[in-house]
Amino acid sequence: MPNRTRPIEKVAKATAKCSTEAAAYGKCVLADYDSVHKDMCVKEFMRLKDCFVE
Amino acid sequence: MISIHTFRATFSRRCVAATSGVRTYASQTPGNPMIEIFNRKAKHLQKDRAARNVEESRKTDYLKDEVALRLCERLLDIKRDFSSVLDLGANSCNIARALTTPNLDIAVPEGTPSPPLAERIAKLTCVETSHALLHRDEELPFNKEINIHRDVIPDLETLSYQPNSFDAVLSSLSMHWINDLPALLEQVNTILKPDSPFIAAMFGGDTLFELRGSLQLADLERRGGVSPHISPLVDVRDVGNLLNRAGFKMLTVDVEDIVVEFPDSFALMKDLQAMGESNAILHREAGPLPRDVLLANEAIYREMYMENDAPGIPATFRMIYMIGWKEGGNQPQPLQRGSGELNLKDILGGGDFQKS
Repeated sequence: MPNRTRPIEKVAKATAKCSTEAAAYGKCVLADYDSVHKDMCVKEFMRLKDCFVE
Repeated sequence: MISIHTFRATFSRRCVAATSGVRTYASQTPGNPMIEIFNRKAKHLQKDRAARNVEESRKTDYLKDEVALRLCERLLDIKRDFSSVLDLGANSCNIARALTTPNLDIAVPEGTPSPPLAERIAKLTCVETSHALLHRDEELPFNKEINIHRDVIPDLETLSYQPNSFDAVLSSLSMHWINDLPALLEQVNTILKPDSPFIAAMFGGDTLFELRGSLQLADLERRGGVSPHISPLVDVRDVGNLLNRAGFKMLTVDVEDIVVEFPDSFALMKDLQAMGESNAILHREAGPLPRDVLLANEAIYREMYMENDAPGIPATFRMIYMIGWKEGGNQPQPLQRGSGELNLKDILGGGDFQKS
């Protein structure tokens, strides 16, 4: 596959511009990392994902 | 055996009652149960696929080249000529490359050239399961400086060499994919000549602990459960036992951490893939990681492990180096316990641990 940008590179590029949202999500998960459960930080994640999809 | 027979008797009796037909066991595996953790076929395909992209594969050889060099430094201390050496799980023959590197010896004063180790090795046999990976660099100049013989074998866990046929067995960053390590080490011990060393480096316990931790948290938060993404690895404390069990003597085990900085977790995973080191656990999830988990992982990894103002994220690789010798004639033996006649305190000086 010559010259095709791999999806993973696209993702990497996109996350770079969402550092604030990423930090907020990371902090939320780590605030209580002993008892992480599904969708614990869904609000923060959605914000990160919205920024990422833009 | 007794318990199995009784069980079998009661079992078939019950079957008779239920179905009026007699069922017996189809087969029973003799000996130890086979331990299967890694999918060998998947690993083989990953290595092959990675090596076929020659450029990327070479670019990500930094870790294997570095560890091969450090491993060969350990060979410097053995002042011998070797007529036949085996490189077990050779990857792209990184050890051969290290052996042909001149001036490896840092103990000699600077400016004095020291010859490459290859001059002391008459024949190096490199075995590997992936043809593409093993033969990737066969056109490079270092191949001319060492008598190298490449051997593609179907399975690293079954070595088909004659007993007592090698003066040394080396292995660098391959043994972490072996399912049955005790059995492999026993084979290595068998194919070595008496009083010959086995020198190996493998990824150990805390390798990639950052990625392991952040992926677990990301999996938990996004999907509510975890799935194995990073291999279980051998702990340093177990290595001595393993070597001992396989019959090796005069063991040396040491640990070294290599921390590599990556721009982001995607670059780390991409490099691992290009190295042919992606996940090959038998019961792993099919397909790639979901994008949501990757995204969450990146955020958590940064938050947890990135130092303030650092340009990238750290990834730790813990190398376990081991040296074991096959038992042989004039090998030094440890003395009987309690037979010491000198007090170390008299030689080294120092006193009791009293507060002064």
